[in-house]
Amino acid sequence: MTQTSVPTMTAAARAVGLTKTYGKGATEVHALRGVDLEIRRGAFTAIMGPSGSGKSTLMHCLAGLDRPTSGEVMVAGQPLQNLDDDQLTVFRRENVGFVFQAFNLLPMLTAGQNIQLPLELAGKRVTDETRARAQMIADTLGIGKRLGHKPSELSGGQQQRVAIARALVTQPAILFADEPTGNLDSETSAEVLDHLRRSVRELGQTVVMVTHEASAAAYADEVVTVKDGHIEGVTR
Amino acid sequence: MRTVLFASLRTYARRYAAAVVAVVAAVALIVVTNALTSATKSGLFAGIDAPFRNAVGAVDLPTEEVTQKYTEKGGWALAASMQPVRTDKAMLGQEVMVGAVSTEKRWQWQELEAGRFPTRAGESVVDANAAKTNKVAIGDTLRVGTGESAVETTVVGLVDAPSMWSSPVYVTWPEMQGWKNPYVQAVLTAGTGDEADKWLNTDDYLTELQTQLNKEVNVVAYMVLIFAFIALFVSVLVITNTFSILFAQRMRDFALLRAMGATKRQVLRSVRREALALGLLASVLGLVVGAVLGWGIVAIVRQLAETAPLGEVALEWPWLLSAFVLGTLTTLVASWLPTRRLMRLSPLAALRPQEGFDVRGAGMFRLGLGVLGTLAGIGIIFVAVGWDDAQTGMLIVLVGCGITFLGVMLLGPALVPGLVRLAGAGLARVAGSPAKLAAANAGRNPKRTAATAASLLVGVTLTTGVLTGMNTIRAATLDEMAEQHPIDIALQAESEPLADSVVGDAKAVPGVADAVAVPGALASVEAEGKPVPVPVVAPPAGDIALRDLTVKPGTMVLSPVAASAFVEDSFEASGEKVTLTVGDRTATVTLDVREIDGAAQISAATLRELTTDPQTYAVWVRADAGADPEDLAGTLGVLAPDAELINGKAQRAWVELQLDVFTWAVIGLLAISVLIALAGIANTLGLSVLERGREHALLRALGLTKRQLRRTLAAEAVLLSAVAAVVGTALGVFFAWGGSEILIGDMLPDARFDPPVLQLIGVVVVAGVAGLVSCVVPSKRATKVSPAEGLALD
Ligand SMILES: Nc1ncnc2c1ncn2[C@@H]1O[C@H](COP(=O)(O)OP(=O)(O)OP(=O)(O)O)[C@@H](O)[C@H]1O
Ligand SMILES: [Mg+2]
Repeated sequence: MTQTSVPTMTAAARAVGLTKTYGKGATEVHALRGVDLEIRRGAFTAIMGPSGSGKSTLMHCLAGLDRPTSGEVMVAGQPLQNLDDDQLTVFRRENVGFVFQAFNLLPMLTAGQNIQLPLELAGKRVTDETRARAQMIADTLGIGKRLGHKPSELSGGQQQRVAIARALVTQPAILFADEPTGNLDSETSAEVLDHLRRSVRELGQTVVMVTHEASAAAYADEVVTVKDGHIEGVTR
Repeated sequence: MRTVLFASLRTYARRYAAAVVAVVAAVALIVVTNALTSATKSGLFAGIDAPFRNAVGAVDLPTEEVTQKYTEKGGWALAASMQPVRTDKAMLGQEVMVGAVSTEKRWQWQELEAGRFPTRAGESVVDANAAKTNKVAIGDTLRVGTGESAVETTVVGLVDAPSMWSSPVYVTWPEMQGWKNPYVQAVLTAGTGDEADKWLNTDDYLTELQTQLNKEVNVVAYMVLIFAFIALFVSVLVITNTFSILFAQRMRDFALLRAMGATKRQVLRSVRREALALGLLASVLGLVVGAVLGWGIVAIVRQLAETAPLGEVALEWPWLLSAFVLGTLTTLVASWLPTRRLMRLSPLAALRPQEGFDVRGAGMFRLGLGVLGTLAGIGIIFVAVGWDDAQTGMLIVLVGCGITFLGVMLLGPALVPGLVRLAGAGLARVAGSPAKLAAANAGRNPKRTAATAASLLVGVTLTTGVLTGMNTIRAATLDEMAEQHPIDIALQAESEPLADSVVGDAKAVPGVADAVAVPGALASVEAEGKPVPVPVVAPPAGDIALRDLTVKPGTMVLSPVAASAFVEDSFEASGEKVTLTVGDRTATVTLDVREIDGAAQISAATLRELTTDPQTYAVWVRADAGADPEDLAGTLGVLAPDAELINGKAQRAWVELQLDVFTWAVIGLLAISVLIALAGIANTLGLSVLERGREHALLRALGLTKRQLRRTLAAEAVLLSAVAAVVGTALGVFFAWGGSEILIGDMLPDARFDPPVLQLIGVVVVAGVAGLVSCVVPSKRATKVSPAEGLALD
């Protein structure tokens, strides 16, 4: 079921006829069975569904982390199926940001170094401008004073906010978050979700968040419900 | 717990690869040593009694008088001498072992293959194998020896002999006695001999001889065993590290077991049994690999060199048992520390995040001890360098080296990551973020990084130490050789002067750079009322020799052998004055006795005093650098068949070859330890890759390309091995400096400490490249995981 009212031009990401099958024969699992979906630009989209329904798989395919068995994915106007591994990697580096449920940060780097990491990987020089931008984002997220600490010295909520800061620093076309609050208590969850929502409102960031908590989905502009590898419905 | 034990072994078997490789290599080295020594012994002992079949008894290493006494009574000397041998067509060799053959049936112990035994002087037999390779046949004439003592002999038979007593050529004993110093291993007696001469009956003699040979072979075996122990020590480091990493990765499993009700003791027993099983398995594998390699090497050597004294391989139980026990013990000892750490494990650990385990650096105590050890060791070396007695000094230097090395190993967790970070910062300038990530990775688990580096450090330190030390010894020895044998090739006349054409002919020989005629005369010196002929030469100025050989007027430089013809104690004769006579002219000279080649040397002025008509008594030849000294000697010898041929270049080349063979044999044996260490690096990296699966997926998700990931791992391996190589080289050179300082001044007065810079750079480069090779498999495994798969790991 496609959101026809949204013109294609404004879609940040689009999937057509997406299927994903794991394994072969007796152990075959159909994680996605033909998904058509558009993610609206500048919106906060939540993907919901029961455990094992294929949410993470869908997100991985949309983000170019994994290749679908069949179907097409277009992100920021770029069809992903034609890209080889290196091109895909560079595409992710330039256009996609990630926040995962846990183990988001590299343990041997400080929070500040973790935030700068995507710029480093791209081989970009760390200029005053980028440093100021990183500091601004960190300040906005309330972690400006903790940038010199290693991840193991930060609380779970702080770690997630460092991850969000890192995802925002490259100004990606789209930010994916897979259960970013899965490990957090409700109060800290609320803070983190609030930050994600503010980045949509204030920075015009496109955010796609996978969650199975209705309370988290309440922060979103749109809610896509997945069940058994299908899109069951989209609510605005 | 048995289920847990077997499941663990199955699941983690592959991760123990490096530990298994280390134990297998060390155990196999011991078994190979035994295989080679047993083959050598059986080869040496086969037919050892052949010459003694008709002997009543024998005297070992008899004096000239004792030899004379028993040979006159119908005995026989087991003698040999190194002599140049040539046919009328070709030179067989400059230094060929020539044995003695009897004309009497009872001492003809060689086995006749063709022809007959000699019946008189002037006849000889040749070893059948040697005859085949040198194309010598019955009826050929050989010229054996040099100068006037050379003998012409006709080959009348081909023989075979047990390896212990075999030589390529055998001439009769009377002819051999004309040579300067034939080596007599034993004199066999026809009847009973005197106790006073150390005479033994044949059975006792052979038993004694075998015991002696056994000891000599065993000494070599024990020297090789030292390298097996070094390999075992490196194995301990590699295995300890492997267990530490594996247990760190499995902490959560262990904690879960504890949470489910397993006692500490149960967990501990389970992992110790795992170590025991591993040790047993690897040791058995080592025995098998060693036996196969041993047999293989012996078979190949026998195939390639038919005359090599190798018999059947007969592995001995004590050796096999010791190798097996050592391999197993090493594994157990190495696993002890890591398993002890499990005792501190609380069930709660299962709930903590993975990164909390074992990432602490070294404690202050360890670092303090490390600083203390390093400083103390360095201090000891400096003290020892000034020691008077070289032997004690050397011992103290060794202790100092050991303490310094231990100190540095203790400092490792602070030193190695620090240096890696430093090197990484440099590398980051050219290689970008992969190098930065790699340096950060090396710093995240200082103990592991240090332990990995330490295993390589052992091999590199020893290798560079040996290279540096040997370079100093080598330079000093070669200098001494050049001092003693400064002339490449000399044709030395004895009583008759050389023909005038010789020098011109010599110049025309290809490979000869220059040749000069050395003027001289046949002088005589009065000794015990009789004139003794003494050929003298006056060395010319110029660069024909490696150094200027011109003699001070009024002095005569000569070798102890030459001096012994007319003075009592030739070694103490320096400073004595003697009068040289040629015809009716005389000159008094002061003796200067030292090891030189050829005839006595006087100054041109002294020669003018002695004769108005000097003649050519020697031709000195300078060879082209690349010319083969043996070939050259063969061609030059023909120009003056009656002259003694002195081949200084060949002697220098021979010593150089010996030094090289020794050095490279040691390096080759040390290479085993280095290879074990590299397997350790590959394993550490491989285990780290498994451990960091999620991190790598995260990096890949954030935009690290496959190639960048590979580069990160490569940078980590190269940085680690390069730092270990540089630190090891610094230590090795320093230790070698300590050792050489002691040798210099005492045993090698003219030596200079001289590190072989190119070779040392080579070691560092090889270590770096090897590090690169060791990361190939781990990085392949790392890049095979897609980011999505990696994110599912925990
Ligand atoms: N690598 C894999 N191999 C085989 N099957 C897989 C693999 N990854 C996922 N699956 C299967 O695909 C289906 C969808 O998995 P997915 O991770 O997308 O679910 P999810 O909706 O994210 O669940 P959760 O809310 O528990 O995270 C599941 O049935 C899962 O077992
Ligand atoms: Mg999921």
